[in-house]
Amino acid sequence: MNTALDVASALLLIAGAVFCLLASVGVLRFPDAVGRQHAAAKAQTLGLLLILLGAALQNAPRYAVPLALVALFQLLTIPVTGQIVGRTAYRTSALAEESLTEDALARRLPPEERRPGQDD
Amino acid sequence: MNRSLLRRLPSLLWLWLLWILLWSTPSPLVVLGGLLVAVAVLAVSRFPEVSRQITVRPLRLLALCVRMTGNLVVSAAAVGWAALRHGPRVRAAIVELPLDADTDLLVTLATLVTNVSPGSLVLEIDRHRGVLYVHVLLVAASGEPEEARRKLLATERRLVAALGRRPDPSTSPTSRKDDA
Repeated sequence: MNTALDVASALLLIAGAVFCLLASVGVLRFPDAVGRQHAAAKAQTLGLLLILLGAALQNAPRYAVPLALVALFQLLTIPVTGQIVGRTAYRTSALAEESLTEDALARRLPPEERRPGQDD
Repeated sequence: MNRSLLRRLPSLLWLWLLWILLWSTPSPLVVLGGLLVAVAVLAVSRFPEVSRQITVRPLRLLALCVRMTGNLVVSAAAVGWAALRHGPRVRAAIVELPLDADTDLLVTLATLVTNVSPGSLVLEIDRHRGVLYVHVLLVAASGEPEEARRKLLATERRLVAALGRRPDPSTSPTSRKDDA
């Protein structure tokens, strides 16, 4: 039983670490701030969740609650930072234009009208 | 006054529970202190009430949660693959997503489910017209902007099906839009 738990949490921890590694590769290689947010918001979140799960298996059940809270607040806050950074990046024209095949927002916010703090 | 207190009860209980969970030892001092802190937080902050903005349908909500967990795994794998395979030459698009969601809470949740969908990140929320502008990485599962858009719309429809408020005859169409 203990061996099975150890194997399960070892697999979870390794998988989590791999996703965190992929996230940092994404942060290094994607061409603009929004692309990097994709890596940070997706791969990094899943990596962290897997690591928390792996850690929870190794500890007494009562420690699972704080770990679950960490997971919950990560899930709730990461999309918010992602959106704030993405919005600011767009409004400061920090997106790699050549990577975009379509830009529906340009009709609403032409480049010359973009301001970081502007609200509509 | 009493009814508004009743509506804030869920927030109060949640804050109280959160306090106890954070201390992780439910001693009398922690339990009592948590109640005081929860009351104090609610007294000094005016959260907009959310309870009447949604109607929970448990089975559909459960199905949505399962689907979102799957989506998170797929999107993490997709973005990781894109990082390795395409890197600086990754293609992306910004698509327009008209929402069915018409309340603040639902729009927030729609943003959340869109953000865990494979390859998509919400850039702008146009609250008045009910439109999300979503940055999509064009990789594997959603190769073309139009296809990505269709998938995101389907996910949003599922969210509204799980939590959308029942049409309430007592509210006039104009008061249904609770603007931020």
